[in-house]
Amino acid sequence: MDRRVYLDHNASTPVHPEVLAEMLPFFGEYFGNPSSVHAFGREARAGLDTARERVARFLRVGPEELVFTSGGTESDNLGVKGLAWARGRGHLITSKIEHHAVLRACQWLETQGFTVTYVGVDGHGMIDPDDVKRAIRPDTIGVSIMHANSEVGTIQPVTAIGAVVREAGVPFHVDAVQTFGKIDLDLANIDLVSFSSHKIYGPKGVAGLWIRKGTKMVSVQHGGEHERRRRAGTENVPGIVGLGMAVEVRARDMHEERRRVTGLRDRLWEGIRARVPDARLNGHPTERLPGTANISYRGVESESVVLGLDLKGIGVSAGSACTSGNVEPSYVLVAMGAPLEWAMGAVRHSLGRSTTADDIDYVVESVEPIVRKLRAAMPVGAA
Amino acid sequence: MRYSPTLLDHFLNPRNAGLMREPDGVGVEEYEGCGDLARFFLRVRDGCVAEVRFQTYGCGPTIAAASAASVRVSGRAVEELLNLKPQEVEDAVDGLPDDRKHAADVVAGALRAAALDALRRRGEVH
Repeated sequence: MDRRVYLDHNASTPVHPEVLAEMLPFFGEYFGNPSSVHAFGREARAGLDTARERVARFLRVGPEELVFTSGGTESDNLGVKGLAWARGRGHLITSKIEHHAVLRACQWLETQGFTVTYVGVDGHGMIDPDDVKRAIRPDTIGVSIMHANSEVGTIQPVTAIGAVVREAGVPFHVDAVQTFGKIDLDLANIDLVSFSSHKIYGPKGVAGLWIRKGTKMVSVQHGGEHERRRRAGTENVPGIVGLGMAVEVRARDMHEERRRVTGLRDRLWEGIRARVPDARLNGHPTERLPGTANISYRGVESESVVLGLDLKGIGVSAGSACTSGNVEPSYVLVAMGAPLEWAMGAVRHSLGRSTTADDIDYVVESVEPIVRKLRAAMPVGAA
Repeated sequence: MRYSPTLLDHFLNPRNAGLMREPDGVGVEEYEGCGDLARFFLRVRDGCVAEVRFQTYGCGPTIAAASAASVRVSGRAVEELLNLKPQEVEDAVDGLPDDRKHAADVVAGALRAAALDALRRRGEVH
């Protein structure tokens, strides 16, 4: 097995060579603490400032509105809990298909006396802005909706949702971890945005939260005066420098890549649809992340497809996880109303900048015999 | 790789997979919560397993465990299978990771159930 094809870019991406080159001096030469007043500190601070300006320019926001964090999970936690705690009590609105970083933060807030409404989605995984509107109450203090779902890739109408939230005078947080640097996001009706580095060819362990100036927030992590007192802790300078450079590269490449990757994504689905019976595409047919194709094979257990593809050198991810005592189909597909026999057989392919047409053809060729063999051993509809 | 070469070989080339017409014994075991399922069919001659077939719905290790176990039990006395232990199934695939031990439980349970069914049909147990 020599050939390797990575189709799990929604999980993580390799660091872009230009990003790595930008980061390296900040591990050695410019190692100082950016809070230090001496030259060593100022060198690190300069790297931090440049990165902050790069991200701010990309998002068209003020650099002082950005807070760097340790990852998308921290950004989501800071966004949701920061909004909630700043108001002390009240009602939050989110969706059933949010990332666990938002869902579990909300569930935890419920144990702390807050109330939460989890709005549903349609069969394509799409949230109806009217559902959000109907969920708004006089005591609603915050709304958090993702820009695109990591599993099925459906892109939410966050501008329309933001409009109804804005009308109610409620702050609106958007988890844009899967879309940042891939598709455009209009911030007009949004107050907070979570974004991450390692989904866009930057390093892991660094992310950010944009907080619109004037949004009432409290910090979750206490300590020094870093990040304008919104997130204590010495900044991950090489990581943040990497994030800044990753954004520069995305600004340059994203539109061309969006077009190319969308074509490959559709080639993958068309190829599989033509060869594998009883396969279906999950998520919205068009309003979907450029590189995401979540495909279900009816009656087949997804992890066995993932294992079969892994043995062919192909990296994809399973929609359901089969671990002892805790196995459930994807909560996203369940919320979309997918029947169990389809939901259990969901496989996510997420493409990226290195993906080629040749890779896609190899995956299409590989998957057909795997699914055929698995079906031979499986009682159809047993799920 | 977290799985043994034996396990991967059985996963990629399952032995005895499929249905059996008019079996002498059938057994099913499900793993709650996981949805994993194994179903074994036995053909019995002179009290021994003459032929075995299985169907599974589950992750790779479950398929592999069913295949490896089907080879293990061929030719053995049906009565012996009433006491088939998950450990023996696990040994047949050269071990399972901790979070996949249930594959052996499901397969051993289905085989025990198939053996019991075969003996019941012959009136040897009640």
